[in-house]
Amino acid sequence: MILYSALVFAAVFASGTFLLLQRDLTRVVVGIILVSNSAVLFIISAGLTRGVAPIYPREGAGPVSDPLVQAMALTALVIGFGVAALLLAMVYRLYVTHHTVDAEEIADYEMRQAEALERADDPEGEEVPAEEQDAEPREEAGAREGSEAR
Amino acid sequence: MTGSSTSQVLLVLPVGIPWVLAAVLALLDGRRRWVGLLAAAGLGASFVSLVWLAFVVLREGPIATVAGGWPENVGISLRADALGVVFALVCIGIILVSLLYELPLGVRWRAFPALVLLVAAGLTGLFLTGDTFNFYVFFEISMTASFVLTGYREEDYQVRGAFVFAVVNLLGSVLFLIGIAALYSITGSLDMRVIAERTDVLEPSSVIAIAALIFAAFCLKLGLFPFHFWLPAVYVGSHAPVAAILSGALANIGSYGLLRFGGGILPRELEFGSTAVLVLGTASIIYGALHAISRRDTSEVMAYSAIGQVGYVLLALGVGGPTGYAAAVLYSVVNSLNKGVVFLTAGLRGPLVGGAFAVGAFSIAGVPPAVGFVGKIAVFKAAIAEDSLPVSLALVALIFLGGALSFLYSFQVYQRRFMKPGSEGKPSPRATRLLMVALAALVILLGLWPEALIYLSEAAADVLVEGAG
Repeated sequence: MILYSALVFAAVFASGTFLLLQRDLTRVVVGIILVSNSAVLFIISAGLTRGVAPIYPREGAGPVSDPLVQAMALTALVIGFGVAALLLAMVYRLYVTHHTVDAEEIADYEMRQAEALERADDPEGEEVPAEEQDAEPREEAGAREGSEAR
Repeated sequence: MTGSSTSQVLLVLPVGIPWVLAAVLALLDGRRRWVGLLAAAGLGASFVSLVWLAFVVLREGPIATVAGGWPENVGISLRADALGVVFALVCIGIILVSLLYELPLGVRWRAFPALVLLVAAGLTGLFLTGDTFNFYVFFEISMTASFVLTGYREEDYQVRGAFVFAVVNLLGSVLFLIGIAALYSITGSLDMRVIAERTDVLEPSSVIAIAALIFAAFCLKLGLFPFHFWLPAVYVGSHAPVAAILSGALANIGSYGLLRFGGGILPRELEFGSTAVLVLGTASIIYGALHAISRRDTSEVMAYSAIGQVGYVLLALGVGGPTGYAAAVLYSVVNSLNKGVVFLTAGLRGPLVGGAFAVGAFSIAGVPPAVGFVGKIAVFKAAIAEDSLPVSLALVALIFLGGALSFLYSFQVYQRRFMKPGSEGKPSPRATRLLMVALAALVILLGLWPEALIYLSEAAADVLVEGAG
């Protein structure tokens, strides 16, 4: 029994870890769910004793199975559920803004953005784009005035 | 161990006030001014009750209570000792300052005050619990709230940062949970004191694997060298008060956990692995400082500096004993204050801000009038107290080197941020700037009058040494 639960724990944990290392963010979330559920399995196997259900008042004599691990497993499950929902919401948010859930594509996009910001920060390069930006609205404004006049 | 009924109520207050208030404020719109002020008032009340609790604990010894009047070992137990109270005080202080900082600037999210309160409730609960599983639950409360906080201001960059932060830290939490289950499996208890007693008589070989697992989990939270990869991405993307909460308050979970589990529950295993701890601390200090020097962005420099600074905590922990533990506590407290000042001022503009930042930078570098000097001295003392001479010499040399490197990057970043001509924008609200000046003044005041801090850290270290003995 202990061997079987250890094997199941190992299999779940390993597949969770494998998914965590993927580029697809939804797979990462599934990986985290699997890993946290493997922890629940581990908790249950940590107190694996046979006995009657631990409900008070006790019916019949004999050993009682450990109620503490069940309480812990339940708490861990609830926490894992809440966090999984939060992670999925974050992935959805990333999908809405980037139209992809691929970690590397999102990172590339951010790299380009950071470079653009750095160029804007650079004191030497700053003047030229600033003038251009200033110039464009003026022309546009002029064009608009012209069109209104017409 | 159990005090009078007043002190038991006192024990519940610091956790209870922010928790209940967070639940109420979650329903209200946090962008309204009065909601923010109410949250700040609640945190302030929690802070005041913690100060009171600290006085009682320091005078009368630890206080324990079981919620709901259950017998001991059945209900949720809270236990306050000097170590927990010191950490709780610092963390709530930093969170309170961060919240007050954000109020004049204008809160942008309706959930912001509630989330900050939840982080505070989780943290105080974690520092004041005597039960390992409750430790995990409180830890998840504050972590989950901070995952959401990292995405504050809704820029895409921050959502990705928040996602990375959440995934990495969840992995750490799962490792920690497995460690707790394993401890329960071999000792049959979740109570910290009982576990400490029972692991003492067990075979070391069965405990050492669990100790390594728990150590890895806390190092992941702390962002120590081989576990640091997530940290810069998160801190760089975060808004100033969020970065201050993450680095000044949440990172303390790692140092507290290492002290409580390493020094308090598994001291034999910590001693066994002290070489590994010292090596990791050294690697962290050098790696963090070198990376910090090579970066340009203020928050990026400070993120790498955070990796370096926790290395000192680990060094002190590796040395161990009363001096080492006291130094680790003192350094964590000092580091929280420094990071609070630096991260918060980095987000501001206008007069007086540069001065406050300079105080924080001085403090990180360990220059005398600031409190950072006291922290450096404590780690220095711990290094001298190390038994073997070569190790002691190497540690002293490392602390000097680390100090010199941190001096370099602190002032590089000061120059870039505050001495650049023509970078003046609209100055930040005066209330925020004055708050930062007050925090900087506190950093100098504690540096000039360090007796209180030293006394607190020694009292905290005594808790660990007595528990181990």
